[in-house]
Amino acid sequence: MHDPGRGRMARRKVETTAKESALVEYASQEPSAFAEMLGGLIEANVRANPNKRKDFDALVARVGIWVTDIDEGVTLVFDAGRLTVYNGLEPRRTITIRAEAETVMSLSNLKIGPLGLPVYYDEVGRSVALKLLRRKLQIDGLVPNIATLNRVTRIFSVQ
Amino acid sequence: MAVKAFSSDWAKQFKDEVNKSSVYKSAGKGWKWTVGLVVEAEPDKNFPESRGVVMDLFDGEARDITVGPASDAQKCDFVITAPYTRWKQVAMKELDATKGMLQGKLKLKGDLPTIVRYTKASQEMTECTTRVAVEWPDER
Repeated sequence: MHDPGRGRMARRKVETTAKESALVEYASQEPSAFAEMLGGLIEANVRANPNKRKDFDALVARVGIWVTDIDEGVTLVFDAGRLTVYNGLEPRRTITIRAEAETVMSLSNLKIGPLGLPVYYDEVGRSVALKLLRRKLQIDGLVPNIATLNRVTRIFSVQ
Repeated sequence: MAVKAFSSDWAKQFKDEVNKSSVYKSAGKGWKWTVGLVVEAEPDKNFPESRGVVMDLFDGEARDITVGPASDAQKCDFVITAPYTRWKQVAMKELDATKGMLQGKLKLKGDLPTIVRYTKASQEMTECTTRVAVEWPDER
């Protein structure tokens, strides 16, 4: 027999699941491993941390990430609480980050300081800053979009 | 002396290498999850059955590393899966494990933020595998 009480409960659960699964979408039916990894990382970060969720809900930007030593990249299209991950670089990007795989992983290990700014004075931060100076890490669109980059870094950081 | 790839002797030497590494001891501080490596069978490479490497890692130390059926490794908190040839490439430094994961050559299951937080530790684990002299079944 159908139990109306249980039915309501089940329906609520389905709605929650549907709402949660809408955080990150993949533009391609076959997202690359890199696209899935970044999308999965951002989704896990945002779900686990209310401050990251606030940043995620406020961010509107098109962020390209190109990994130079595997010749693969993604475009992250943030749209105020939703993220669509594209395989490869899409046009009209706000910021484009180009670096080797190890550096891209270092970016997600940047600590966030008390003012919400990435910490560049510890070991990981210094190594990232040095790579930026040596052009091993290139960020197109950095100067006019520093606030956006900081917000992306906060969402991306696992620290 | 070389040991057979993914054998119990290999697991023992791998564990010794991990525990000798001061880099791992420091980078793995705070780690408290099990890691399983699934080595998928490639009969044409003389590796006829999949195997699982179960690593009990805790706070910068390898408490135990064992080799058994793939199903044991699949029960771990983090599971990395790849065919035999890929693992051989990793152990011979022909494939960087981080790049391999980004390219989908090594498939990772587990909490992504945690594994990313320990990138340095996982890179050192890979280094440790390269220090074990191995007799590869497809080279016999």
